[in-house]
Amino acid sequence: MVWEMLFSIFIFPGYAFLLAMAFFLEWLDRKVLAKVQDRYGPLTVGPAGILQPLADFIKLLSKEDIVPTGASRAVLTLGPILLVALPLTALFFIPMDSRRALVSFEGSLVAILFILVITAILVFLIGWASANVFAAEGAMRSALQMLSYEIPLALTALCPALVAGSLCVSAIYERQARGGAPFMTFLPPLGVISFVLFLFCTLAELERLPFDAPEAETEIVAGWMTELTGRRLALIKLGRDLEFLLLAGLTASLYLGDPWSYCSSWLAPISFVLKTLACAILMSFIRGLMARLRIDQTLRIFWTYTIPLSLGLLLATTLALLFLH
Amino acid sequence: MGLVGWARASSPWILHFNTGACNACDIEVVAALTPRFDIERFGVIKVGSPRHADVLIVTGPVTRESRDRLIRIYQQMPEPKFVMAVGACAISGGIFAGCYNVCGGAANVLPKVDVVVPGCPPKPEAIIDGLAMLLKKVRGGR
Repeated sequence: MVWEMLFSIFIFPGYAFLLAMAFFLEWLDRKVLAKVQDRYGPLTVGPAGILQPLADFIKLLSKEDIVPTGASRAVLTLGPILLVALPLTALFFIPMDSRRALVSFEGSLVAILFILVITAILVFLIGWASANVFAAEGAMRSALQMLSYEIPLALTALCPALVAGSLCVSAIYERQARGGAPFMTFLPPLGVISFVLFLFCTLAELERLPFDAPEAETEIVAGWMTELTGRRLALIKLGRDLEFLLLAGLTASLYLGDPWSYCSSWLAPISFVLKTLACAILMSFIRGLMARLRIDQTLRIFWTYTIPLSLGLLLATTLALLFLH
Repeated sequence: MGLVGWARASSPWILHFNTGACNACDIEVVAALTPRFDIERFGVIKVGSPRHADVLIVTGPVTRESRDRLIRIYQQMPEPKFVMAVGACAISGGIFAGCYNVCGGAANVLPKVDVVVPGCPPKPEAIIDGLAMLLKKVRGGR
């Protein structure tokens, strides 16, 4: 029992698996982007370049550590550590190897959304504490972006929760698996709209291509990451990968519940990994297709279209549920 | 060569700085990143911030105007850092050597230049060759 517990915390679906998946997702992301652009992408480091993210990580760990004059050493130290620790914590709430997540309680969906807000605030703090004009500009943009995507993200995530009648991610997943619907258990059009909206907000949360104004390297050097070197940058890169994994996994477990994973326990991890990879590939593909939006365009899109749409979606889901029962 | 040596030789992130080039070398450096040559195969990422970079690629003769900026950018990079001088001008000043406004090549200003890639401008193949030489040097220890 104790060994099983330790195995699930440290090996699968615990730290070792999550870190390996995070590195794998970064490699996959770069490969998909390269394919879209008709390139090879990482190729020589390990078979097909699969060790590239690991090499980047180790190299960054071994680089010189610089904290600029005037920057807050405390924030620049604590921030990157928390940026890794928080998504790692949230990943424990996601059901991966079976019906139940490692940590499962009523309200784990709210906890995950809360952790996502905290990471966005940390990003702002790191940029602000760097004492650099470009980092401050990136931090302001990231804060503005957070104000735009956070509300529709939470509202959209509430739709599957409403249908399942629970705020626990495991329960939502279980409800869909038992409902037997491969895509979403409630009315298919609403499910599809909710899925697309959630993915849209996820891209903004991850600061990926249509919404990467906070770290736009062609305008503001590297945005809020400008002054970070060595270990701090390594941790932040890892934290971003973990957040990518978290949101891909969350999308998979909120929207892509499948009955097969509920029938047998050994199919569940395979099905989870495949669904997460599918979500990640979709996000990478979008990244390859899009150009960057200005921050005011991002704000306008979210406040004029996405937020009313997500409110309407929530209303429609509630009404549909009322009439169906 | 060790784990760290392997990691350093496997992920050289480059920063490209034009110290006054005519843009020919810059086009060739960018061409090395584009789909036909794609140096991301070797783990190269072009970064925007000197704080993230491992390799500084200098193109063009160092003018008196850009001299201080080149030094500052070099100092902002974290150790271990490497410098690649691409093109005849970055090596010696090229046809601009001896002009009243030119300090010569990158080696006249920076403490060290690890690899030079001659040419006016060098082809992307030559830049990749220079990068491979640099990586061999990195792998063998500093």
